[in-house]
Amino acid sequence: MNNFAVLAKKEFVQMVREFKVIWLPLVFIFLGITQPVVSYYLPSILEALGGGQGITIDPSMAAQKGGEVLASTLGSQFDQLGVMIIIVSMMGVVQSDKANGMLAFILTRPVTVGSYISGKIISNYLFVACSVALGYLVSYLYVVFLFTSVDFGDLIVALLFYLLWILFIVSFTTMISTVFNSQGIIALISIVFLLGCRIIVGLSPVIDNVNPASMSKHAMEVLILGTVNSQAVWGALAALAWTAVTILITNIWISKKKFNNE
Amino acid sequence: MITLLSITDLEKSYSAKKILNGVNLEIKKGETLGFIGANGAGKTTTLNIITGILDSENGKVEINGLTKEDGIEYKKQFFFIPDTINVFNNVSGFDWIRFLMNLYGNDDKERLGKYINRFGMQESIKKPMGSYSYGMMHKVSLIAAFTINPPIIIMDEPLNGLDPNAVLVFKGLIKQYVEMGGTVFFSTHLLDVAEKICNTVAILKEGKIILHDEIQNIIGESSLESTFMEAQVYEGKTSVN
Repeated sequence: MNNFAVLAKKEFVQMVREFKVIWLPLVFIFLGITQPVVSYYLPSILEALGGGQGITIDPSMAAQKGGEVLASTLGSQFDQLGVMIIIVSMMGVVQSDKANGMLAFILTRPVTVGSYISGKIISNYLFVACSVALGYLVSYLYVVFLFTSVDFGDLIVALLFYLLWILFIVSFTTMISTVFNSQGIIALISIVFLLGCRIIVGLSPVIDNVNPASMSKHAMEVLILGTVNSQAVWGALAALAWTAVTILITNIWISKKKFNNE
Repeated sequence: MITLLSITDLEKSYSAKKILNGVNLEIKKGETLGFIGANGAGKTTTLNIITGILDSENGKVEINGLTKEDGIEYKKQFFFIPDTINVFNNVSGFDWIRFLMNLYGNDDKERLGKYINRFGMQESIKKPMGSYSYGMMHKVSLIAAFTINPPIIIMDEPLNGLDPNAVLVFKGLIKQYVEMGGTVFFSTHLLDVAEKICNTVAILKEGKIILHDEIQNIIGESSLESTFMEAQVYEGKTSVN
């Protein structure tokens, strides 16, 4: 077993012992269920709460297509609460190692900075990606049950697009966790920046081409329209390039700045 | 004897304060060198520079002819036990040692079992480290170090928190380890223990080594404690640096 594998295994063991393997997938399953259920029962909920007086309920709401509801799961649930929860679950990923001296301890072993960072990012990404995929799958099952079916190919392509955006979220949060020492600051910067990236999607095609969050929009388009936007390739390249930049900055920061606030 | 670790003209400052002011030191293979100095003398800084936690402004460190630029190969030459041991509270001592062994590519379970027994940790080794005392955590680090068996073990105050029984075991194991060709370099405040364990002593004062010689040459008819006190007052009494 090489050192990357040893460190990645350590991360997985930590996730198990901190019960992250239970609560994070559960959160995404809950978020995945919420959108189709609320969309389906919204007319009934409004009627029960307000009696329906003075409210006009658009009858076409009930006729939403499955792909649209699934796209809303990504755009409304995962991109807002979901992103915040990923950030909160990862804000201490390097910061806590710095604070308790574990980073210094690990890096005095036969370990490169690259193995340490890749062990962190890949293990956390795989875990977060599985949690997101699980929530997405559950959402899909509810959508098929309550609305209409979604083409399986579109389902997979949209998920792959969305997971590129998740990859950037994980690497960006890791970078911020490396650079800053306060978990509050790490959470604040990550949430403001990443939600900011998501909010500006669609404002300008030029910005979309370099915005990793545009992969979320492309995923939604695949689900709603059933076609892949030709610009998606630029979004994918941008997401991968920005991910590489964040990993590079993380590596340089740990290598040059050292890790004990000298 | 072959020089295993050599430190040349090491300098380090924090802000405007010079912590290390040209430290020179050589540790031969098979030596047990006690690194002694008052608080703030620069012992931990020196160890942190050797292990790569800190960079020095000037100077050079070599272990077995390798420098920090050699990366992993350099790090494989030593096992460092820091003064403050931070561990994952919910991980057992056994899992922690296995994790460290994997990082060094060591899978000698038999040797691990032997040292667990020697330190009397058979019962507690499987318990979460959050339930360990400071001394028990040190024992776990020592078990890992002896099992991994690198060319040199570097320790920062390894005797802190150890009970008398563990100190005895420690002394015995250090001697055995050195007899088997190992080399030990550790800082300590416990002069009486250092006197019994070490065959060489280096005294650091204000970032400079003021005394470095074999223990018998240093203490003569006296004790390490009185020699240390004298050296603190009369710097450079028998300095070889």
